[in-house]
Formats: sequence, structure tokens, C-alpha cells
Amino acid sequence: MTTAKRNILLGGLGAVVGLLAVSFLGGIVVGYLEASGVRIDLRASAFWIILLVAIAVMAGSLVIGALWMRSIDEAAREAHKAAWFWGGSGGMAAGGVLMILSALPGAETIALTPWLMGRTDPAAWMATGAFALMTLMLIGYGVVWAWWWLTRR
Amino acid sequence: MNNHLKALRAERDWSQAVLAEHLGVSRQTVNALETGRYDPSLPLAFRIAKVFGQPIEAIFTE
Repeated sequence: MTTAKRNILLGGLGAVVGLLAVSFLGGIVVGYLEASGVRIDLRASAFWIILLVAIAVMAGSLVIGALWMRSIDEAAREAHKAAWFWGGSGGMAAGGVLMILSALPGAETIALTPWLMGRTDPAAWMATGAFALMTLMLIGYGVVWAWWWLTRR
Repeated sequence: MNNHLKALRAERDWSQAVLAEHLGVSRQTVNALETGRYDPSLPLAFRIAKVFGQPIEAIFTE
């Protein structure tokens, strides 16, 4: 592994640890203020903290992804491009089939197991759909990426 | 597209890793190029030509 790649991975790891530390400290501060009698709207605080953490994680992922793409050579980039287009599109197509099937009469009788802390509200099912689609796209990505390299050995 | 990369590399007694270092790519990429399963970009083709001191058309053929 080249120094540039190692630095990117270490930087990403450092960012994750830093984010966890900031979140942990934020929790301690909110807990301390709450214990001190300061009235805090915990639901609103959680929303804003999680929103900022989510944005930071996703923006950081994009930055690390960009740095990673710049650190690899053109063939490795082509493998990722093919994986993104064909694998991602394939996963999306598989998810699209499920989405169309879900519109069929009778689909409402299908019993799904709640996985998000046992929740069955619309937001939890929306997260289920988003997670399922992302999983299918990532599976497609991994399969096409491996296929790209295996056929060029 | 065919190429003479393997022969040119053998003439210099270079390993794929050494050629990869000269070109600034990974060994896997050199392997993919040598087997003809990956066609290089124009900038990489020029780098290859420069490393071997030959014109591109002498290294790559249709």
C-alpha cells in the first residue's frame, strides 16, 4: 500500500474516531446540563446533533472517496466506474422490481419483521426501503468490481 | 488491441512490479495491460512509450 493510500485510510479512521469523541463529549455536556437543572429539549438536541453528525459522516465519506480515487491508478478507477455504473444500476434495478411488486394488490398483507428498534412507523419503513436499496446497490458494486479485476488477471 | 509489453519488459529483465513503478501504476494494472484485457489511456500509453523509448505504434497494434 502506498503512503498516500495509507494516509487517506488513517485520516478517515482519525475522522471517525474524532467524530465519535465529539459525539461522546456532546452527550456528556447535554447530560451535565440536564443534571444541573438546565431545561433542554432532548428531542430537538438529538435531532440537530444527529443531523450534523450524519452530514459530517456523508461529506467526509465523499471527501475520502475523492482522495482515494485520486490516489489509485487509471485501471483501478475504471474498475470503480464500472462497478458504480453496472453494479449500482443492477442493484437499483433489483430494488425497482421489489418497489413495483410492493404496489400490487395484496402486498399490504406481507408481514415484515421490524428491525429498527422494533419500530413500525412510516419513517422506519422508509429507512428499511432506503437501506434495502443501498444494500442491493452495494452488493452489485462489489460483484462487478470483483468481476472487473478477475476478468483482467 | 495487442501490445508487446511483456516482450519489452522481458528484454530489460524487469518484473511487473518494476515496470509498474516506472509507470506509476499498480502491478495488477501492468498485468491487465500485458494480457491485453485493459487498453491504457492516451497519457498512460505515452508514458509507456517514453519508458521503453519507442513510439506508441511500435508497442501497440490493432
